[in-house]
Order: sequence, then structure tokens, then C-alpha cells
Amino acid sequence: MTVPKRIGKISFGLISPQEFRRMSVVKIITADTYDDDGFPIEMGLMDPRLGVIDPGLRCRSCGGRPGECPGHFGHIDLIAPVIHVGFAKLIRKILRGICRECSRLMLLEGEKRMYIDQIETIVRLGQTTDDIVNKVFAEARKHKVCPYCSAPQQEIKFERPLAYVEEGHKLTASDIRDRFEKIPDEDIKVMGMNPDTARPEWMLLTVLPVPPVTMRPSITLESGQRSEDDLTHKLVDIIRINQRFQENREAGAPQLIIEDLWELLQYHITTFLDNTVSGVPPARHRSGRPLKTLSQRLKGKEGRFRGSLSGKRVNFSARTVISPDPNLSINEVGVPLEIAMELSVPLVVSPRNIEVMRDFVRRGSDKHPGVNYITRADGRRVKVTDRNAEEVAEQLEPGWKIDRQLMDGDIVLFNRQPSLHRMSIMSHRVIVMPHKTFRLNPAVCPPYNADFDGDEMNLHVPQTEEARAEAEILMRVQENILSPRFGGPIIGGIHDYVTGNFLLTHGDRRISRLEVMEVLKKLHHLEIPEPVGWNEAGEPYWTGKQIFSLILPRGLNLEFKASFCKNCDSCKREACDDDAYVVIRDGKILTGTIDAAAVGAFKGKITDRVIKEYGPTVGAGFIDGMTQMAIRGIMLAGFSFGIDDEDIPKDAEDQIEDVLNAARENVTKLIDAYKAGELEPLPGRTLDETLEMRIMQTLGKARDNAGSIAGRYLGIDNSGVVMAVSGARGSMLNLTQMAACVGQQSVRGERIRRGYEGRTLPHFRRGDLGAEAHGFVQSSYKEGLNPTEFFFHAIGGREGLVDTAIRTSQSGYLQRRLINALQDLEVQYDGTVKETRGIIVQFSYGEDGVDASKRDYASPENVHRIVQRVLKKEGA
Amino acid sequence: MLDRNVLYKAYFTKDKLVHHHINSFNDFIDSGLQKVINEVRIIETNIEDTYVKLGAIRVEKPTVTEADGSVERLYPNDARLRNLTYASPLRLKMTIVQGETEKEPVEAMIGMLPIMIMSQVCNLSGLSRDEMIEFGEDPLDPGGYFVVNGSERVIMTLEDLSPNKILVEYNQRYDDFIEVAKVFSQRQGYRSLVIVERGRRSILEVSFPSVSGRLNFVTLARALGLETDMEIVQAVSDNPEIIKFMLENLEESEVATKEEALEKIGGRVAAGQAKEYQKKRAAYVLDRYLLPHIGVDEGDRFAKALFLARMAEACFELALGKRGEDDKDHYANKRLKLSGDLMEDLFRVAFSRLTRDIKYQLERASMRNRELNVITTVRADVLTERMIHPLATGNWVGGRTGVSQLLDRTDYMASLSHLRRVISPLSRSQPHFEARDLHPTQWGRICPSETPEGPNCGLVKNFAQGVELSTGVEDYGDVKKMLLDLEVVPVVGRRE
Repeated sequence: MTVPKRIGKISFGLISPQEFRRMSVVKIITADTYDDDGFPIEMGLMDPRLGVIDPGLRCRSCGGRPGECPGHFGHIDLIAPVIHVGFAKLIRKILRGICRECSRLMLLEGEKRMYIDQIETIVRLGQTTDDIVNKVFAEARKHKVCPYCSAPQQEIKFERPLAYVEEGHKLTASDIRDRFEKIPDEDIKVMGMNPDTARPEWMLLTVLPVPPVTMRPSITLESGQRSEDDLTHKLVDIIRINQRFQENREAGAPQLIIEDLWELLQYHITTFLDNTVSGVPPARHRSGRPLKTLSQRLKGKEGRFRGSLSGKRVNFSARTVISPDPNLSINEVGVPLEIAMELSVPLVVSPRNIEVMRDFVRRGSDKHPGVNYITRADGRRVKVTDRNAEEVAEQLEPGWKIDRQLMDGDIVLFNRQPSLHRMSIMSHRVIVMPHKTFRLNPAVCPPYNADFDGDEMNLHVPQTEEARAEAEILMRVQENILSPRFGGPIIGGIHDYVTGNFLLTHGDRRISRLEVMEVLKKLHHLEIPEPVGWNEAGEPYWTGKQIFSLILPRGLNLEFKASFCKNCDSCKREACDDDAYVVIRDGKILTGTIDAAAVGAFKGKITDRVIKEYGPTVGAGFIDGMTQMAIRGIMLAGFSFGIDDEDIPKDAEDQIEDVLNAARENVTKLIDAYKAGELEPLPGRTLDETLEMRIMQTLGKARDNAGSIAGRYLGIDNSGVVMAVSGARGSMLNLTQMAACVGQQSVRGERIRRGYEGRTLPHFRRGDLGAEAHGFVQSSYKEGLNPTEFFFHAIGGREGLVDTAIRTSQSGYLQRRLINALQDLEVQYDGTVKETRGIIVQFSYGEDGVDASKRDYASPENVHRIVQRVLKKEGA
Repeated sequence: MLDRNVLYKAYFTKDKLVHHHINSFNDFIDSGLQKVINEVRIIETNIEDTYVKLGAIRVEKPTVTEADGSVERLYPNDARLRNLTYASPLRLKMTIVQGETEKEPVEAMIGMLPIMIMSQVCNLSGLSRDEMIEFGEDPLDPGGYFVVNGSERVIMTLEDLSPNKILVEYNQRYDDFIEVAKVFSQRQGYRSLVIVERGRRSILEVSFPSVSGRLNFVTLARALGLETDMEIVQAVSDNPEIIKFMLENLEESEVATKEEALEKIGGRVAAGQAKEYQKKRAAYVLDRYLLPHIGVDEGDRFAKALFLARMAEACFELALGKRGEDDKDHYANKRLKLSGDLMEDLFRVAFSRLTRDIKYQLERASMRNRELNVITTVRADVLTERMIHPLATGNWVGGRTGVSQLLDRTDYMASLSHLRRVISPLSRSQPHFEARDLHPTQWGRICPSETPEGPNCGLVKNFAQGVELSTGVEDYGDVKKMLLDLEVVPVVGRRE
């Protein structure tokens, strides 16, 4: 075993030719790979000293087997220097900044000293030196005559892709290298480089490192043919040209041929490093596919960084469709048996648990809480099967590890993408269930933003005690009920949960003994309170408020307005006519109705208070009880919504008709006034804009009026109204659109204007500014829309579709950028926020050091509350 | 009220739902193929006095060549099951002309053309219900797609901005908004974008391909044959306000005569070349790249000048508020490219590849002193490969991808919908809010409800039930005659 090492520091530089030779285990001289017998050729590209990929062989350099040996670099001696494409721009800058005769950086001594000082300061501050270095080159370039040797300077033109032209002559790589070699060390420092680790001449390669075979393995096809990696192909080209170059030069070939070969060598090395340099045709495979060379392996989404290092894949995870199960606790997740039998938790056998462990092992891997693998003390892993189960169970010794299948009570992480906030991954307790979907309580949908229209979620099983502890303490659902976003509960009743509570607690609903038992069926150890009265038959009855109070903790005091409160001018408080003022004293509801404002997700005041005063465990218990009670409450009452729930009486229809006709007339009047030039423009608006605004206003008001007429006939006994008013789903606007009038359709906030010349559709006259011609839909959804109305509605609807499609992609990108910018920030134990270099970003987290999830919707309310509580305690 | 069901019943019984594809492909077979051949007319060679004259092209019924060399009729379902391509041999009459002597015309097989199912050359066309069943075909299958290597490929209908139509709009140049008139001039698959813009101080400038930067409008007009100031102004407009603008333009005029103008343009298109060559090049550029849809001969220059003048007028009218910006999403400004048009584009490129190959083969044969023979020089695979590969991958000529797609067979409705789909070439990654909106002019043409959700929303459309497509006419003869009868003066050469 090697001793673990700690990385103290990383410094970047260029590799010198000497360094390349030092790290090389073999000099490659032949372009061949394998001989006829299939053995690698010595000093060839597959030299056995470069590492091993064939199973059974050992590395000639380190003796390691495939998988152990990391591979070793070789090298090729290049006949002439070649430009490294990655440094083409920098080479240009340096060439222009140094003297063509004496190679000194063309700045005066004083300037150089000044720049070095600046660079040293900025390095000490840990910032980038780019700006100063750029300035150095820009200043040096201004000299037309060298300040040291007085040699006149020539303009150096850079020609794509890789040529430096001076006075019409192309500088060869050797010329450039010669110039760079002469640059004194002090001058290199001014250029922002360290002459010990990065000499400029090293940007021109004279030695090419040959990557180990382990990073360019050849594969054997079914036909027994060997197929080489793209990098190997490229290296073959380089060696061939290098050899030809050498032969030609030794044979004294004409300059023209030498130059051609040099250029070809440059091309092959350029494409070996980067095959997407603009101006250089990409090197292609025989089939015409561009080769994937070094920089292509690293770059982009599927590259080494983003694809292989950031995009990790994990074991011990599962993914399937989710479906609801209101009988689960919010802390639980239903896991299909099939998945539970595949995933496992590692357990260490000890003298104390050995018998229990034996029982698990004995069950084998085909019977549920069984064991998939065991790991012996020496690290050997054995798969547990039906056949060896009994035998392995007997052999079991303390110190062995077993991989026990997932079972009830295990802690797992549950996640839904996109993981936009920390509540997108929470830990749940496993409940193993039949069938094939993950089950969860619908109350935990809001933090995951999940629904059940085919959403899939991922599940991960922590494999260490530390991970399990962290998951249980920090990530449990109940620890995340209060959102750090707005300090209120993000988990709570949705849809039917809210409706159910509303129906149960609204008014003085009488509930018989049988019904009480039904509602409380799934709740544990509750004492049934004294009934409030007896009916004619002498049977006792209870109120819904009484029943709901059973799940409230004792001592809870709370007063708030329900979600359907009409915000009357003077609040009658407890005496509210609508039963919309909730008063809770000592855990008993005295007045008011439980709805979204009390228990809903994002809003639930009771949930919020229970957690803040009694802790998350009581809070989670409250939500569980509430959900259980709500679904039985709604079943008790029965709840449905159909097309006849939108029926309104004939005279209501007539009234709506009148309102709409009046509105249309008003619009006509406005248009007439506009045409007659009598319309007064609104401040800051043109006449046209004023007209449009006034028309929109008139029609909007008409729709609202039509809605309120319809609303008058849709009472609290209407299930649509119950849903809208309690905050369960939908709004009164949705209802009035169904029952009374759909209203104006708009595109980007304006009436529909585009279309044919002078009109939207050929159904209207040119220049018609009226309501119908620009997308006012007078019909209700129930009545049905006429063809033009339908079309305008489709126009308005399309805008919505496009908006959602565009928004999701844009917000995803925004999120990514935010995360990239903030991911390294960390809150220290002293409360400051620092980034990785230890630079303070905030002296106190969030500038105030407050945990948002503990501060009552960011209002000063909690101060009042604390004062009240303290006073009460003192009084008592 | 009128019972509209009668109308719709008529629509559904008269034509198939995919008739647009079938008609378009039939047109391609009937006239499109021959049109492409006629454009090429002859294959010239580097052999002295030798060229190949191209004659009539003929499409046979789809066949398959079996392993033993026998040729048999192919039916679509066989092609599907055996992973074959449902294609017909193309036969072209070719004549080698050497000096004065003309050899016997020979009909050569120049390649295989993939055939649309249920088109007129399809082996299924005109079959009865029972016969269809006999050949393993669903009698209710609408056809309108191809079978390539056993997979069913649909050529998507592409929506494009209308070519050869002047569209005016505002463009942003730095902080200013300037008025521009654009036209996508299209001729035989070559598209050239010509822009006339009114820059600062009302100076008109024109840009078109092969000329970098912008040319002065007056210079261009003079070069095209509108020599005098009077002519130029009259060609643009008789509106006094516009004439005022034009006078400003003429004051800034760089040249006075046609010769000077050509020289000036020559200096731009072939800088640093000999004077004579410059002028030749200028004339060539004006003929080939400026508004090619009007014509590519010297005789068409005057018409081009008048067309440019109309563009200039449109620019000024926009500047004066006499007209609004053109609505690019108005369906009148859109044209649809159907399968036949796209196959024609494909065939044009494939055929030109073939002619080059024939030329090369002839030259090789002649070098080896062999008797020149058309049959042996035509390598049919060259064309076949070029026809089948784009269809199989969807990578069309001109770099467009996703043109052919695998027919959606999720259910019958999915297939029908797929065959009636229209795609817009706009990029899906940019918002393009306006292009995605449902435009009122789409009433009756495009379905208001059917569009995908997500990034393609509003860019991928589907035909409305009652849509009917009109096709462009190749021959303007009748139209011209009618106009002449109405005493319209034709634009040929100089106006007296």
C-alpha cells in the first residue's frame, strides 16, 4: 500500500524538453505497432514499456498488471522544432514584444522594474496577472527601435493558422526558438512567467511526449483485426513524417521539399493536439470521420471535465415513476420490492448482532430482507445464492460485512430533477411495497415540484454510517418543512387535502359517532372529546372543528384570517359571518375554517407555528394527521365537479349578456370618440395607446362584472367555489371563465392586432377596432366559443405555451450560471462566508446572519410573539 | 345555415389527406426531372470538339435487382421487409457529338430514383382494395412517403420566406434604425439575398452576394443601363417627396456614364486586377449574382434596374410612413417547399455530380484511345448514392438537416399528422416569439391547436383539415399574354 499523500500546492508551467525526456521510458522510433505474431514491437508505438492493456501481461516498466499500471510516457525526438498550437497567440505577443536582434524585451529598465513590482503585488493578492501582462506586451510593441541594441524592428504579421511573417518572410519555428532562447530571465519575469518553470522557447516543441498505451488502447474486433485508437493513428503519422523529414534532410534534399515536410510535420502535430483549429483542415479517419485528438477529449459537454469528472455516475441508486399514497407519512417513501431486493445497505457483523445477521444471510438473495453479497475479513466478496446461503451463514464471523437488501426503516435519499434548491433531495424512510412505482405522500410534492403525470424520481442508498447520520439529521423531510426561501412551510396540504379540511371544519358541521370513527380510523391513540350535543334520536354528535382540534398540540394559541377571508373594511374577527377568522386556544379551534392559509403548502400558518413551537417531529406528525383526516373528511362529504356545476340561472345569463352588450357599446363609443378626435389622451400616452388602454380596461371590467354576477349564483355549496375559495385549486377567475365569459385574449399584453391588412381576420371589416375583431371572447367555456373566438383563444393560448417552453430553458441556464458562480462559497464556523482561497465574501451569512427558515416569513412578527409568550409566562 | 359537413365530406372523399406530397412528387416526375436535365443540356468535355447531348428522361416502375442479377418488380412491403430501397431506374437519352458527327442516341440507366408510395409511378397506384391487400399493403395507408433501406422516410414540408418578393423592414445599424428592402432572389436552387437600404442622409446602397460591402444605388443603376438622372428618378417614383430624396442621391453620384459605373463596380469586385478584366468581371457579377431570378443575360439588366428602383421606392415609402414594415409571419409571405421541390434540389446536385463523373470517365476513355461509349461511362451508383443517402439520413443538400424523417407509426393518426407536418427553418434555440405565435393568416391553412410543446413550439406546424396548396407555374406565357392584352408595356431593353 502506498502512503496517502496530501497535495500542498499546484503550480502551472511549461514542460521543458529535458523534462519530457526524463519522464519518458522509451524513445519511439518506428511507426509500427505489432509484429506478425501480434506482439508489440520494441521502440514502437505499443512498446511494452509504455504500459499494459492486454490481460495477463505485466508492464515492463513497473511490473504492474493491467489496471494497476497507470502507463508510462515515451517520447519522439522531433527533427526540427514545431509550434505548439495552444500557444500560438502567446508566441505572437512575445515575438512582437522582443527585439529581433538581441531578444530583449523592449521596455526600459525602469518600466520593467515597475511592472515586476506590480506583478508581484497582484500575485500576492491572489489575482490574475493577465491585464498587466497584456499591458507589458502592448507597451513593448510600441518601440520601433530596440532600446538596447538600437536595431530597427519590423512588423510581424500573424497569418492564420500558424505563420509569423516578418518582412514578407515566414519565420520558421527554429528562428522563433532561437530568438526565444536568447531572452534573459529577468525579461521573462516581466512577461508574467517564471523562467524556472516556463521558458518561452518551450512553447516550440523539440520533443513530443508519447502518451502511454493505457490512454489509447487498441481494441480487437470480432474478426480478430486490431483497431487502433485515434491518437495512435495520429502518432503513426507524426513518426512517419518525422522519419521522412530526417532522411530527406540527411540526403540534402532541396529546401522546398524540406519546407513542405516541415509544414506537414507541423500539421500533424497541430491536429494531434487540437483537431478543431480554424484554418487547419481537420485530420480525418479513412471513413471521413474527423479524428478525436487530445483537446477533443477534454473539451465540451462530453469531455473529460464536464462529462467524466463533474458528471459522475453512481451505484446504489434506482429510478422509476412516482405515484401518490396518502397513507404514507411525509417522512416515508414506498419502494417497490424489486428495487429493494437489488439495492443494499452494508452492515458489519459483530458478536452482538451475529445471530440477526445469520438470519439475513440464511434467507439468501431471493427472499426479501436477504443478503446479496458478503465481504469476508480479508476483503474477498462472495455472492450469496440459494445454494450457498446456509453454508455462508454458518461461516459468518464478526468483522465480515454483509450487503443486506433494503428494508423498512432504512434511510434513503430521494431526488427529483431539476434539483433547483436543497429540498430537491431529501431523505425518507423506506417502506417496501408491492408494484413498480415509488410512492410518496402528495404533501411532499411541492418541494420536489413533482406531480404524477409520469414524473420519475431517483433514489440513493447511503453506504456509510456518516452518510446515514447526515441524511437523517440534516436531510429528513421533516427537517425541511420550513423553507429557507421564505421562512414558511413548503410542505403541506394540496388539492383535496385542503378541500377535505375545509369541508370538515367549515361552519358547524355535525358528525356522528360512526363518522368520527371513520375520520379518525388511521390516527393513533386519540381521546375522543365530549360530544357537543345529542340529536333528536338521542345520538351524540361532534363538530368538525372539534375533530380537527385532536391533531393540534395542546397549548397552541393562534389567530389568523383564513384564505377565503374577504378582507372586509371592518373585521368582525371571531364573529365573522363567513367563519373565516380562525381562533385557536390551547389547541382547540374555537372559530374559523381550516383551509390553505392554515395547512396549505407555502402558506400553512398552523403548520408553521406547530413546527416553530413544538419542533419538526410534532410538525411532521401534524401534517401526517392532517392528511389522514382530510382524505377521510372529503370522502365523508363526497366531492365532485361537473359541467352542471357551472350552471347559472337564466336571468343571470341575461344580466351577463346585458353587461357585455353595455361594454361593447362603451367600446363603440370610445372608438367613435377616438375617430371624432374627442378622446383625451392619458398622460404620457399617445392617442392610439390611450384608446387601446381604455378598451382593454372596459372589456376587463365587463369580464369582471360578468364574473361577479355568475359568482353571486355560485355559492359556497358549489364545489368549484369550495376549491377556489379554500385555495385548493383554481381561482374564481377560472370559474367565471367557465360560467360567464372568457374575456379578452392577448398577446404580449396587447389585444390581438396582427393578421391581414387592416384587420385580424377576413371575417371583419378593415379598420374595425371593435371588441370581437381583436380577440374579445364573449362566450363562456360552457357555452362554447364561436370559430373566430376559438381562433383568438388559440392565439392567446399559443403565447402561453411558447412562454413556458422558452422560460424553462432560460431559467435553467441562469441557474447553472448562478451555481457556477456561488458553488465554492462556504459558511465558516465563525459565521463568515468565505470562498476557497479564504477570502471573505460576507462577514455574516446573508449580511445579517439570520436563518431564514426560523424567521416567520421575514416579518418582525416573531418578536411580538416572543414578547407575548414571555409576558404570559411571567404572568403565570 | 349551410351544412358545412357536406363541404368537409367532399374534401375527405375527393382527395387523400396526403395529396400535397403525391401531387408534388408527380409534378417532379412529370416535369421536374426533365427541367433539371434541360438546365444542363450538354456535358462538355476537355476532348476536342466532343460533348454529350442530353435528351429525354424516363422513369420506370420500381424494381429490385436480385443477387442472381434478375430484375423484378418491387412492391413497397417487400422493400420494408427485406430492407430494400423502393426505387425506379432512371433512363436518359444521351448522344455523343464529336465535331460534326453525331452518334446514335443511346438510352442509359443513370441511377435509381426513390419512389414515393402511391405516386403515379408507384406499383400500387390504381390498385383496388383487394389487390392492395394481395401485395401486403394496408388499403387505407395514404402513402406519400419513401421506403429507403427498409425504413419509411417522410420528406418534411419546409416553410420558407417567400423568394423573389420585396420585403421592407427596419434594421438596426449601431444606434440608428435604417429602412431596408430585401429580396431573396431564387433561380434554380441558387438563392441570393439582395438588400437595398436607405442609410444616413437618404443615400441608397445595395448589397448582394459576391460583392463585399455595399454599392451605391445610383452607380449600380447607371451600370445596369439607367444612364441619365431623369431615367433614374422616373424609374424610382413620381412622388415629389421621394424625388427629393432621389435628387440628394444623384448629387452624391460617383459616376456619370454606364462605362464609368462599370469601371467603378469592377474596382470593387476585382480589386487589383487588370482594367479589362475588372469590367468583364463586373458585367459577369451583375448578370449572375444580382437578382438572378429576373435573368442571367445581358438583356435582363434593364429589368433588374427597374426592379431595384422598385425596392428603392419601397424603402423611401417606409421612411415616409406611406407603408408599414412587412409582416414576415404573414402567410402570404411564406412559401412551402414540398417533397417534389426538395427531390428536385437533390436531383439537381446529384445529377451535376453525375455529369462531372461522366466527363471524367469520357476523358479517361479518350486518353486510352478507346471508343467513346455512353453506356460504359455512366456510373449509375454515383447518382443513386447521392439520392438515397440524403433521404436515409435527412442531411439534405445545402446543409439542412432533418429534412427526411422516419415515419411515425405510433398509430394511424400519428402517421397522418406526420405526413401533414410543416417545419420552419428558424433555429429552435432562439426565442423568435413572433414567429412562434399563431398568426391570424394561418386560419384555414395551419391547424391552430396542433403544435408540439417545448422548444419547437410554434415552429413545427400541421396543415389544417381543409388546406389546399397551389403550386407555382413554370411557364409565364399565359400570364404575359394576358398582361400584353391589357396593353401593359413590356420591359425589354431601353424604354423610349
